[in-house]
Amino acid sequence: MALTITCPICGRRNGYEFRFGGEDKGARPDEEGLSPEDWCDYTHNNTCIAGIQKEWWYHRDGCGSWFTIHRNTITNLEAEATA
Amino acid sequence: MNRLNRLPTLRVNPSEKLTFNYIGSSCQGVKGDTVATALYANDVRIFGRSLKYHRPRGLYSMDGECSNCCVEIDGIPNVRAETTLLRNGMNIRPQNVRKSPDTDIMGFMDKMDWAMPAGFYYRCMHKPAKLWPFFLKQIRKAAGLGRISPDFHMKGRYDEIYPNADVCVIGGGAAGMTAALTAAGQGLRVILLESRPWLGGFFDYRTAEYTPSQEGISRTLCERARELSEQLENAPNVRTFVHTAMIGAYSNNLITAFQTGNKSDAFDERYMEIRAKSVVVATGCIERPLLFDNNDRPGVMQVGCAHRLAQTYGLLPGENAVFSVGHDLGLEAVLDLYDMGVSVACVADVREDGQDPHLLEKLTERKIPFMRGWTAHTAHGSKTLEKVTLSTLSGAQHREFDCDTLVASAGLTPVTGPLTLAQAKLAYDNHTGFFLPEKLPEKMYAAGRMLGLQSPLSIETSGKLAGLSAAADCGTSLEHEIKQTREELRNLAGPVRGSKFVTAPVRGQKSFICFDEDTTVKNIDQAIQAGFDAPELIKRFTAAGTGPGQGGIPGHNLPLLVSQWHTDSGLAVQPTTVRPPLVPTYLATYAGAKHDMCKRTPAYESQKKAGGVMQRAGVWKRARRFSDDIRCQEEVENVRSNVGILDASTLGKFRIFGPDALRALERVYVGDMSKVSEAKIRYSAMCNEDGCLLDDGVVVRRGENDYYFTTSTGRAGQTVEWIRYHARYENWDFSIVNLTDAFGVINLAGPNARKVLEKLTDADVSNAAFPFAGYREFAIRDTIPVRVMRLGFVGELSFELHVPSSFMQTLWELIEDAGKPLGIRNFGLEAQNLLRMEKGHVIIGSESEQRTTLHDLGLGFLWYRDKPQAKTVGAVALRQTEHQEGRLKLIGFRMEDASSRSPKDGSVIVDSTIRGYVCSARHSFALNEPIGMALAEPQLADTDTRLEIFEDSGDDRLYAKVVPMPFYDPEGEKLRI
Ligand SMILES: [Zn+2]
Repeated sequence: MALTITCPICGRRNGYEFRFGGEDKGARPDEEGLSPEDWCDYTHNNTCIAGIQKEWWYHRDGCGSWFTIHRNTITNLEAEATA
Repeated sequence: MNRLNRLPTLRVNPSEKLTFNYIGSSCQGVKGDTVATALYANDVRIFGRSLKYHRPRGLYSMDGECSNCCVEIDGIPNVRAETTLLRNGMNIRPQNVRKSPDTDIMGFMDKMDWAMPAGFYYRCMHKPAKLWPFFLKQIRKAAGLGRISPDFHMKGRYDEIYPNADVCVIGGGAAGMTAALTAAGQGLRVILLESRPWLGGFFDYRTAEYTPSQEGISRTLCERARELSEQLENAPNVRTFVHTAMIGAYSNNLITAFQTGNKSDAFDERYMEIRAKSVVVATGCIERPLLFDNNDRPGVMQVGCAHRLAQTYGLLPGENAVFSVGHDLGLEAVLDLYDMGVSVACVADVREDGQDPHLLEKLTERKIPFMRGWTAHTAHGSKTLEKVTLSTLSGAQHREFDCDTLVASAGLTPVTGPLTLAQAKLAYDNHTGFFLPEKLPEKMYAAGRMLGLQSPLSIETSGKLAGLSAAADCGTSLEHEIKQTREELRNLAGPVRGSKFVTAPVRGQKSFICFDEDTTVKNIDQAIQAGFDAPELIKRFTAAGTGPGQGGIPGHNLPLLVSQWHTDSGLAVQPTTVRPPLVPTYLATYAGAKHDMCKRTPAYESQKKAGGVMQRAGVWKRARRFSDDIRCQEEVENVRSNVGILDASTLGKFRIFGPDALRALERVYVGDMSKVSEAKIRYSAMCNEDGCLLDDGVVVRRGENDYYFTTSTGRAGQTVEWIRYHARYENWDFSIVNLTDAFGVINLAGPNARKVLEKLTDADVSNAAFPFAGYREFAIRDTIPVRVMRLGFVGELSFELHVPSSFMQTLWELIEDAGKPLGIRNFGLEAQNLLRMEKGHVIIGSESEQRTTLHDLGLGFLWYRDKPQAKTVGAVALRQTEHQEGRLKLIGFRMEDASSRSPKDGSVIVDSTIRGYVCSARHSFALNEPIGMALAEPQLADTDTRLEIFEDSGDDRLYAKVVPMPFYDPEGEKLRI
């Protein structure tokens, strides 16, 4: 896998070691007054940025932590955060 | 055939013989031979027949750039004879021939070219549509290279490695070796890849003089190559992989390759994924074929092929040769082959000028006729070459020469595949006639002959420059050295002018631009007449370059040829795209070692000794049953009436502790976890965000903020990830430990279970002291610590003992001994399956699938709705789907006819349409009739509804009726004794 991911604990490793955890969408919304549409947006719908996105990864074959990275979805390379 | 065995360039050992089989006759080769050179040594000239016209084809290049020399070896089709080393006992057969390559009965196809213009498949056979299936069959029969038996089993050892390096150098010629040595000299870790079985590239087989060093020691190119290769061998931080073909380049400088192993390696082929900080590409050149009529006739071969055949393998290509060349390497080959005893009738050179004067001098010394501005025009000979017509470039003059070998080449062409794969931008360079890298990706450099360099010193210096640049990318400060080397290179000979000549002045009906697909120059003309203007489109229409050679033969000629039609349009010459794998690779190599790894529980051996049929279940190997009876009647009845033991060690087991452990549990479990107590187990479930059942298990509290819980076997691997995922936005303080492998689990079940346990412990295990759903910790025989749960999965009095894995074997034997007087027996997964079914208990994945919610299974009561602040995973969906209509519901059924057999798992419930399906059904010994569970539409869920069951084999329907669950002991009294 061409992708490498930098785990905050273990350092830069081959992408094979990780599991993708989706876009960074923020904390779970409150259940009170939540419409089915909003819930569906939170759980299933994605922004699918063509460019740099913040996303979750799990170091499955490593330390077992969840963390976020920025990745350029066009080049499939880790990137610096953009404003 | 006699070998020249005293050459300094030789790479074979003529005294070490190898025996192989070719179409039924035993032949001999020597150690170091490729399959192609061994066949050539045995006077094989026609290696196979071409795809479309069944024309005879022979040895043409030496690096597998076309399918001419694809053969079948030991049942494996399409093996490239030129790059495969000969081994003792190989069984070799030609391809695409009926009978033998010399007498192929399909040879008449060669006369049919008028009927098969470019793109004729697309244009001729689609009308009328109803005939297409017929044509399809005929085309399929005729098309394709190689045949493989459908039950062929691929033998061999395959492996994979994932090495890291600072610098990866692709290509082990002079430039690549220098680059590797330079980078290694900076203390960096270097990986060097070379596709041939040895290093040396263009230097390896040549005895021409290497430009003398300052000390004035004269050396040949071959000696220089071996000197560099020796230096590499002694460089401690260089890993050299020979016989290793680079096949792909990806972002982040990831290079993939495959390596062919030799006898002493532990693999036959292995896949490599190399991660480097920077990359040097020094893949050199191959030859650009010269196009003329019958340029594919066996006996016609490229310069490097003839030259290496002699110098590397000690085989003369023929007795009487004619040369038609376009670069100085061709003239060098003339001289060497002449000196070895080949008679040279004539040398044609498409260049009017620019030849190395020293080489011309030597030609004159030997009185070899040399003709500037001449080219091969037509090759003659019915099967192999007999005669050649040469002509001037314009075609005004002709001359004929008898010969058995025509060494022909238009010029060189750089091997740019690796650069293209890495997304480098290439542009046509008018001076060299090459596609040169215009913009290279970050941290990638090109060096050597592929840049058009020819002088040995220039080639090595460009390698040094690339090596330094690549080293600088790894953090070494080398600005000064780089500047100096760049200056050095500028003062040396630059890229040489390249010939752009492509095709002799012929109509091109039998001039083959692509051997693999039998594409002729005329086909290209036809494509252009049909309106295709870009090489990429012409490639698709004529199939040129789409064969196993990956465009090695037509790759450069096609754009040059097409550009001749565009002289007025000002369009740039465009290359066609290459794609990975650059070199054909076995799927077996990609598949790798196929290690089948599984886990065994600590009681594995005991169960196996007891006659357990051990089968794969997920990552584990578990006991399915303990007799030949697939219904497991005795195992089941023994649990119902006496006592049995089951190894349940595969259950997921976890400790979660810390101030926020309860919060984490509340997040993932649908139940009210605040009620979990120390003396009582709590059964609960985990759902996904859609409210569908993921997992079920029990939770107990072992101390303050300290919990122990179990998961189903299948979820054990993902549970830590799941819980941490759903806590990722919270700053909760908790720890979770996977104890799955640290604890074994024994389920002691049956009305006599307590009698067995009492013998082993002083703890009070009476129903009053340790009731159903209780949790206790005590010691067995005062020593073995156990965590014991009173559960009811199989529907009888049962104790589930969790014990440290190291004690598991001992405890297992203690229980067996204590139960022996009572007649204790093992029971396996199949028996457990029936026992739990009789109780109406679901198994995830059996009574549920991805779309099955807690409500569908009738387990909605597990969901505690009054904890919105916990933001429980699945709670929103459970609320939204609580009253949703039309969902499949879990139902129990009995057969209408109690004496009928039970339907197969997965059978569908039908009326005029499909209404549901059977999850599992078995013959119940307790009820003495078949029972089952199904997911069916809610209209069918009422008791006594008649179900019509269709099995995928047979026309008979089975009939059942819906009954309430559980089937056995509905009051649950047996659990509570
Ligand atoms: Zn990590």
